[in-house]
Amino acid sequence: MFGFSSKQLIGVGLFLFAIFIGVPLVIGATGRWDFYFTLTSVALLAIASAGVWLTFYIGRINIGQGAFALIGAYVSAILVVKAGWSFWISLPAAGLFAAVVAVLIGLPILRLRGVYFAMITLVLTQVVTLTALALPVTNGAKGISNIPLPSGISVFGIPILPDFAAMENTKLAFYYTACIIMILTYAALYRLVNSRLGHLCRSMQQNEELASSIGVNIAYIRIVIFAISSFFGGLGGAMFGSIAQSVYPSSFQVADSVNFMLNCFLGGLGYVFGPMLGTLVLYFGWDLLFEFGKYQMLIYSTILIVIIRFLPNGLLSIRFGKGGDK
Amino acid sequence: MQRRSFVKTAMAAVAVTAIGATAAVAENPVLKIGFVGVTSGPAAAWGISNQRSMETRAAWINETGGYTIGDTTYDIEIVSFDDQKDPKRAIAGMEKMAQEGIHYVVGPNVDDGAAAVRPVAESNGIMYFPYAFPKSLYEAPASNAVLGMVANYQSGPAIYKYLMAEEGVKTVAFVAANESDPLSQRDGGVEAAKALGLEVVSDNVTYQVDTTDFTPVLTPVMRARPDLLVLSGVSPANAPQLIRSARELGYEGVISTETAQDAGVLAEGAGDLANGFISVGGASTPELASPAMNEFVQRYTDMFGEYNDESNTKVYALEYILETLKADPAAITDVDAFQATMDTFEAPNPFMNGDAKLRYVGMTSFGQKRQVAVPLVVNVYQNGTFETLFVAEVD
Amino acid sequence: MEQILANGVYLGSQYAMIALGLTLIFALMNVLNFAHGQMYVIGGFVTYTFYGQWGVPFVLALVMSCVTLAILGALIEKFLFAPVIKGSAREESTMLLAAGIAFFLDAVILLVFGEKQRGVPKIVDGVFNWDFRIIMPYDRILICLLAILSIVAFIGLMQYTKTGRALRALAQDRTAAQLMGVNVDRYSMIGFALGAMLAGLVGGLLVTITGVNLGMGGPTSIKAFMMVMIGGAGVISGAIWGGIILGFMEAIGLALLYQYGDITYLLIFVSLMIFLAIRPQGLMGKPWG
Repeated sequence: MFGFSSKQLIGVGLFLFAIFIGVPLVIGATGRWDFYFTLTSVALLAIASAGVWLTFYIGRINIGQGAFALIGAYVSAILVVKAGWSFWISLPAAGLFAAVVAVLIGLPILRLRGVYFAMITLVLTQVVTLTALALPVTNGAKGISNIPLPSGISVFGIPILPDFAAMENTKLAFYYTACIIMILTYAALYRLVNSRLGHLCRSMQQNEELASSIGVNIAYIRIVIFAISSFFGGLGGAMFGSIAQSVYPSSFQVADSVNFMLNCFLGGLGYVFGPMLGTLVLYFGWDLLFEFGKYQMLIYSTILIVIIRFLPNGLLSIRFGKGGDK
Repeated sequence: MQRRSFVKTAMAAVAVTAIGATAAVAENPVLKIGFVGVTSGPAAAWGISNQRSMETRAAWINETGGYTIGDTTYDIEIVSFDDQKDPKRAIAGMEKMAQEGIHYVVGPNVDDGAAAVRPVAESNGIMYFPYAFPKSLYEAPASNAVLGMVANYQSGPAIYKYLMAEEGVKTVAFVAANESDPLSQRDGGVEAAKALGLEVVSDNVTYQVDTTDFTPVLTPVMRARPDLLVLSGVSPANAPQLIRSARELGYEGVISTETAQDAGVLAEGAGDLANGFISVGGASTPELASPAMNEFVQRYTDMFGEYNDESNTKVYALEYILETLKADPAAITDVDAFQATMDTFEAPNPFMNGDAKLRYVGMTSFGQKRQVAVPLVVNVYQNGTFETLFVAEVD
Repeated sequence: MEQILANGVYLGSQYAMIALGLTLIFALMNVLNFAHGQMYVIGGFVTYTFYGQWGVPFVLALVMSCVTLAILGALIEKFLFAPVIKGSAREESTMLLAAGIAFFLDAVILLVFGEKQRGVPKIVDGVFNWDFRIIMPYDRILICLLAILSIVAFIGLMQYTKTGRALRALAQDRTAAQLMGVNVDRYSMIGFALGAMLAGLVGGLLVTITGVNLGMGGPTSIKAFMMVMIGGAGVISGAIWGGIILGFMEAIGLALLYQYGDITYLLIFVSLMIFLAIRPQGLMGKPWG
């Protein structure tokens, strides 16, 4: 079916079952309701990390995803609060706006490579934070707070999406929403990597000059990939703004940009699902170490160092061996 | 892989929680009070002084037999969550508090975190005591946040008024870090100064929080020759350097801030140049501190090696929570009862000499009683210690 | 105007020193050391402890900072970076390691030295005031001179000693250096230790003026990255120029743009982005680092 092996299909089935039925069952059984938010965060951060992974795929180290997440969060918040849009329409709009910004910025900076690209994207994160502080439309330092919860959508009187504000508990709703968006993101990512565009990206990752010489329009591909990557960042950021019901210039900052990148490294750059696993381990791991109080950071960083020391190609390299793909 | 690792981590989580739960064996039933704030990274000083104040007080209560609310005597346990000054983590922290069955939480320390946790706190029935100043947190329809200290728009005018009368201050300049909290505080300060008839000669100079040399930052401000230089929302780390740079540039006017500072840090970072620096503190000075306050400072020092003067303002939130619960034991699990009690609650202030009272205020600023009545103690730094300049009340 | 120049020289010299260590490590091993700022902070705290707490002479305290960081750097290289570089398919993976080490050092600093801002007594009192045209405290002038002296000494070391020549060979071409008989592993370790030592030295120097707190690490690293990018990654002279340029940009930017308040730094960062977009390899870097 669609060229998937039965093993892959079973894996995907198990995964879907786990996140949509298994997780709620486990949480219901253990009573750890707080994990819903943590896992929702993991899903949303994994969406943004997927974008970073994609830029790695064309051989660019991207430390600028926090900038696009912040742009997405602000665009959605402004559209909902000031223009009265439905959140569900503002969500793709946030992603698209981030993508447009990425095209404009990408045109000059995507020529850069290696650490230079990494640095310029890092500076970009600061630029966006400072811009948010300075602009009137973002409300400057005061941020945008009291953002209403997503409202329902119905077509011809048939409710398609429920009204979050009318719910007793929005945790589960946000969890499912985040998971669905995450799955769509990774499905798109998987499709992209295995398309013609994906092959071209891999050739660019190896050697841009060579790719260019055999007729690949590398400038065009770079922009497209960077725009898609930033679209994911915008989506993740917008969802977060809606959960927190507030956006501040510090909602996403340099530390977040760095974390998105680390998620990709930790999961493994060679694997489509690497960033998802990396996000889970990095974000969820911090939460689990909560019990250690003031030693939390020490233990967290020690584990991180040990992992990278013994699995320098990412967590997924245990299973697939060096150089394997997916 | 995904599923398996999740189940594994979930099982580990359950195991860890179980260990954590059995470790806290005590004779009395345990009353958990939460803390969500920043205890690592650049702003760690804010949260750590907060957390340690709570832990010191809790250990003190437990050592002396527990805290009696209604018919039950409780041991107090402080559950702390480090939000790394990240609003996303702050939400996770508040969820964790809900998970632990906690209804009373101190923190977060900054504006964005306090705004972000509001939905979680309100849907889970948690009262929280942030150290953040935006009025929207405390005005209706917001219901569950209680400002844990004196806001800058309350202390600022009091300080300016005092300086206008006593020092003949006519012009004022503001400097703030380029971050949400300090910028908001600066805007509030500028507004208050203008309302009092002060001439604001400079209000747009900002600095990055990671600035290491403040001379270029302050040079243009000094050119305006203000009588008063206000360091809006200045962090304890930056204050001594700013003071030092201003004095070295030849500035001779008054320097003040509306945040709490630590005398030791000022002494180390600026020495005698910090003399005359005005800041807001709690009942720290010898003439105000009650025996209980002195004992608190002593116990804090014994527990953590060194006292932090910022804790003078941070000792109160836990005391307010416990005293209010004592006034209405039903509030232990019911925040509606707590909110009803807040309107009439009154108890003696154990940390201050005289007949100061613990009560909730905020009608003027927020239209509802959503602020603890911490005495507004304005201090001046003099040769290594703070001296009381004046004491005022917030309504 | 004179004041702006003086501020620029002062800021530039301290920035250049911070950037030097970072660029050295990058040149040798292609590692972007996220933990550089934390090493700087540790250097500051060591000097604080020896000079400020225990009353050891300042110069001796500085030496202790250098020694501590050199040992720390050598250990980190030998037991962490070297094996990870050997084992990873893409060398960028070392960024995760560097970030992990940065988190780790932050945690250690918090546990060992506490959360408070620390400062030491002034090493020299008084303020140099040239008719209000240049105002500069004497301790700043001294630190500025010491920084310049250290930079000169470092350049000397790289130019005229055997170690320096080996390090430069290594930076230029690892494989060729190995073929020429340079002990690559050993000199990688020495280079890393030297880079860390520079971070410790500048931390120790600056603690006398700015003090030190655990939060300075991350922002210092980022600032150092910027300087390295301006000058060109992995080029020693580039780092020095980068530091000086960023120092002057801040001094001039703050002096000229102060009335725009909140956007001063925005403009500085935006112009940095434009500069890098126009000249991707920095002032004197090898293209495509």
